[in-house]
Amino acid sequence: MGLRNWAYYTKHAFINIFGNRLVHAISVGTITSSLILFGSFILLFYNLNNWMVEWGQSLSMSVYLQDEIDQKTKARIESLMKNLPSAELKEYISKDRAMQDLVDGLGAHSGLLEGLKENPLPASFEIIFKDVNIRQLDPQRMKEEIEKIEGVQEVQYSEEWLDRLEGLIYVLKVAGFIIAGFLCLAVLFITTNTIKLTIYSRRDEVEILKLVGATDWFVKIPFLIEGAIQGLVGGIIALSALFLLFLMFSLDNVHIIGLPVLEIVFLPMAHLAFILLLGLILGLVGSFIAVGRFIDV
Amino acid sequence: MTGLSRIWPFALENIMIQLFRVSKSFGVSKALQDINLRIRKGEFVFVTGPSGAGKTTLLRLVFGAEPPTDGQILIRGINLNRIRRTSLDLLRRRMGFVFQDFKLLPRKTVLQNVAIALEVAGERPSVVRKKTRQALKAVGLSKKEELYPLQLSGGEQQRVAIARAVVNDPLILIADEPTGNLDPDITRDIMILFRSISLRGTTVIIATHSQELMKDTEQRIVLLKEGKMLKER
Repeated sequence: MGLRNWAYYTKHAFINIFGNRLVHAISVGTITSSLILFGSFILLFYNLNNWMVEWGQSLSMSVYLQDEIDQKTKARIESLMKNLPSAELKEYISKDRAMQDLVDGLGAHSGLLEGLKENPLPASFEIIFKDVNIRQLDPQRMKEEIEKIEGVQEVQYSEEWLDRLEGLIYVLKVAGFIIAGFLCLAVLFITTNTIKLTIYSRRDEVEILKLVGATDWFVKIPFLIEGAIQGLVGGIIALSALFLLFLMFSLDNVHIIGLPVLEIVFLPMAHLAFILLLGLILGLVGSFIAVGRFIDV
Repeated sequence: MTGLSRIWPFALENIMIQLFRVSKSFGVSKALQDINLRIRKGEFVFVTGPSGAGKTTLLRLVFGAEPPTDGQILIRGINLNRIRRTSLDLLRRRMGFVFQDFKLLPRKTVLQNVAIALEVAGERPSVVRKKTRQALKAVGLSKKEELYPLQLSGGEQQRVAIARAVVNDPLILIADEPTGNLDPDITRDIMILFRSISLRGTTVIIATHSQELMKDTEQRIVLLKEGKMLKER
């Protein structure tokens, strides 16, 4: 099959697309809608994953000390904390400073603390873990190890949020796979039927081509190219729409209580190429199914 | 008869088409029954009979558009029952078919309609243009190559269909009621065209129920009635 034939096929595919503009526009529109939904899911997962990593990178721990420890024990704990992998000792918060912070935090309601005979708050070391992937770091195990150190009363980190976020990502992933599967099937179904419509509207041409000696592939290939173009155009429009949506929603960064400020980022090139390729493949496979059963003269 | 002709009679007798005990049924309806027929290279044959006699079915079987229910059809010794799909496509490129309803594409120009037969064969664009214009010149439509079929008269449309059928120098030209809707003058022109094609060595088979068309002709006539071959002349 030479270049001349491919030039013929491509030319006729474009002629057919322009000749059946409405049918193709409907098909491209539906593929676009499906790929926007699909792309939105990928964008969501991608950002959730990024946030998880970012959060892991800025994970903080509070190591509360027993009240009665001496300076030597405190210095030993400080040294141990500094030697934790990827950990940075942010600050030491004394009992008095902790109380002052609480008073400041309560503001107008700080009078509630006036009845206290002694300061119940423990001193603590605040630690930040930097450049650590949350999936590689096991905060729970680390907490248990630190709590075994003499002089340490308790270790706290925002494990609840982490667990919730991980759970949410898992649920979204499962739902995403199911929805993506259905979307792919829908795109296939739509492309198949659109190509069937175009073949049906051009059945006289197909019959004549077969009667003058065209091979099956000579008839089929322009339809396959049409399907691939539909998928590709649908993919390009979907990504453009997704980028516009991204621009609209990323004007304000996302703030979540207890979490650092999160920034929404757009999909990297590899993901964009994957969505385009998916559109092209779905269009191609849809056409292949359609022409496989329709052309028999 | 020599040894070679006993083994392969087509070689010496130049048989182009042979039907051996061919029958075709559509459900319970028997369109053709036990047809035996040999047509030589370059022969001009009329297939005639009343409506429903099986003329179109016979042509469609020879063209490979339908398989026979029984019997064998050989084109240049190639058995259509055993031919592969791709080989049938290649064989069709050496056969021209002129349909009763012309089968022209209304959204393509006259030139494009004729060119299709060469494009499917993968001819170079320059060859396609040259041969298409030659075919249109032969049928007298050189000046109308950029028109669309609906801008032409019935006779002109028929000539476009003939040009498409002969553009790739077919071995066999089959025409189904080619003058069915045409007036006598155009009919005469088209028959002259068919005879000139036959004189170039192309086997021509024309199905018609018009007695007028076969009047005073020396050509071979195959008469069908109710799917059976009644007689030959």
